[in-house]
Amino acid sequence: MGAREDEYDYLFKVVLIGDSGVGKSNLLSRFTRNEFNLESKSTIGVEFATRSIEVDGKTIKAQIWDTAGQERYRAITSAYYRGAVGALLVYDIAKHLTYENVERWLRELRDHADQNIVIMLVGNKSDLRHLRSVPTDEAKLFAERNGLSFIETSALDSTNVETAFQNILTEIYRIVSQKQIRDPPEGDVIRPSNVEPIDVKPTVTADVRKQCCQ
Amino acid sequence: MDAIAGSKFSDVDEYGFKRGDKFDYKAYGKFMDSYLKTLTRRRIKWDALLKQNPDLSLLSPTLKRYIRKGIPGPYRTNVWMAITGADVQMKKQPNLYSSLLNIQHFNKEISDSISIDLPRTFPDNINFDLEKERLFNILCAYAHHNREIGYCQGLNYIAGLLLIVTKDEEKSFWLLKYIVEQITPQYHSHNMANLLRDLAVFRELVIRRIPEVNRHLEDLGLPYAVIASKWFICIFAEVLPVETVLRIWDCVFAEGYKIIFRAALALFTTHKSAILNCNEIATLANLFRELMIKDSIVTNCHSFIESMFALRLKRNEIESLRKVSVLNGN
Repeated sequence: MGAREDEYDYLFKVVLIGDSGVGKSNLLSRFTRNEFNLESKSTIGVEFATRSIEVDGKTIKAQIWDTAGQERYRAITSAYYRGAVGALLVYDIAKHLTYENVERWLRELRDHADQNIVIMLVGNKSDLRHLRSVPTDEAKLFAERNGLSFIETSALDSTNVETAFQNILTEIYRIVSQKQIRDPPEGDVIRPSNVEPIDVKPTVTADVRKQCCQ
Repeated sequence: MDAIAGSKFSDVDEYGFKRGDKFDYKAYGKFMDSYLKTLTRRRIKWDALLKQNPDLSLLSPTLKRYIRKGIPGPYRTNVWMAITGADVQMKKQPNLYSSLLNIQHFNKEISDSISIDLPRTFPDNINFDLEKERLFNILCAYAHHNREIGYCQGLNYIAGLLLIVTKDEEKSFWLLKYIVEQITPQYHSHNMANLLRDLAVFRELVIRRIPEVNRHLEDLGLPYAVIASKWFICIFAEVLPVETVLRIWDCVFAEGYKIIFRAALALFTTHKSAILNCNEIATLANLFRELMIKDSIVTNCHSFIESMFALRLKRNEIESLRKVSVLNGN
């Protein structure tokens, strides 16, 4: 896919989050391998893939972490928000509840991710026109109010998948390269020369969540 | 696709799973040439053993040895039920399962989250579509029986495989209960506390036995949670080839949680050079996710099980590491 795997100017860690079944894994496989699996399987734990793209003649390598959507899996996955510079927060345009839960995911990011993380709200399954339950305008407005970028995608027919990743990676690149102009070298964490080591141990110390009673 | 031409094996295995385009029929044929003989030999041995009416709820040294060498398919369900005591529990509470199915209103959050996973459970199995309702019943019944666990993603694969083997909803329910509560307690709970603990224990075992592999993983930055969460949560269901999973489960039911560590460690030791040969995190992730879980080493279940038991591993070691891990907050 264009640039050689081991040569890049920037390495960006991006996480894919959102409710179970909204299509996170298929967005990832569409972007990294141009594959869509109709017989998709539930993701257990955390998965991982990479792809490099070009922006302004620079090679940007995206390291994308795909996470299980079920709430309890945050015990494992929240550790992977650390060091992430971008997040694709995915919901299913045909399942309103997955959109309502976006607020919970935002809170999750606020608690565990870097303060400056770039977040893109992604309404996936745009091919399901006849089943749509989340109006585009509503989601767009919500995104604006919360300072998120917004796009609708279909991993199934490929619509906007490339654009979504291109946009968020470009946005991150702009921020990082401007920051470098403002406060030069001193080694940005995102430069490949000192890729931030990803800690093995999940942060669960402060994570004794109350179990909700039904 | 051409790989199947000239092969005596169907493109669907005996449990209904499609073998997939990349399946290596040649290597499989070679393995089966010898494994079929093993299976026949084991079957004769088991026939003789069972004729003596042994107490299958007691793990005698003979029974343990026999189980490690594989329970023949036709006897598997009965041996699993007996050795775990699930059959006794089922007899003690004969109405439990049916009463759980008769609950008037299932908790919607639970039933919805199970429903999302039904089409995503074994879509590559040609018979399993017909089992989806039964799978729903088992998972929903268990989630309402054990509210502390409820439904955890991954249990769909365990219950699904139990159903494929036992072909019996109620027995699957009791075996699922045994796994979740006796083998992997607090793995599937809301904070997944023991899963995190055991991933840390597993890392420590790797450090002690193959430190160079651990160093390599840490150099490349691939966390154990990415590599092994699914191994522990699903006890290798939907990870390794079915026959290998069932051989592992035979031992898990007989000998307990330690077997899961043995299998995970054996995956590392048998693939040591492959792991060390990956120079990039993406290649390494792909090795763990795609390549080594279906290669000839793991497909040859008989020799893989042997390599599991060739490792030195004592329950004490795991238990003391667990204590340390909990003290350190994993």
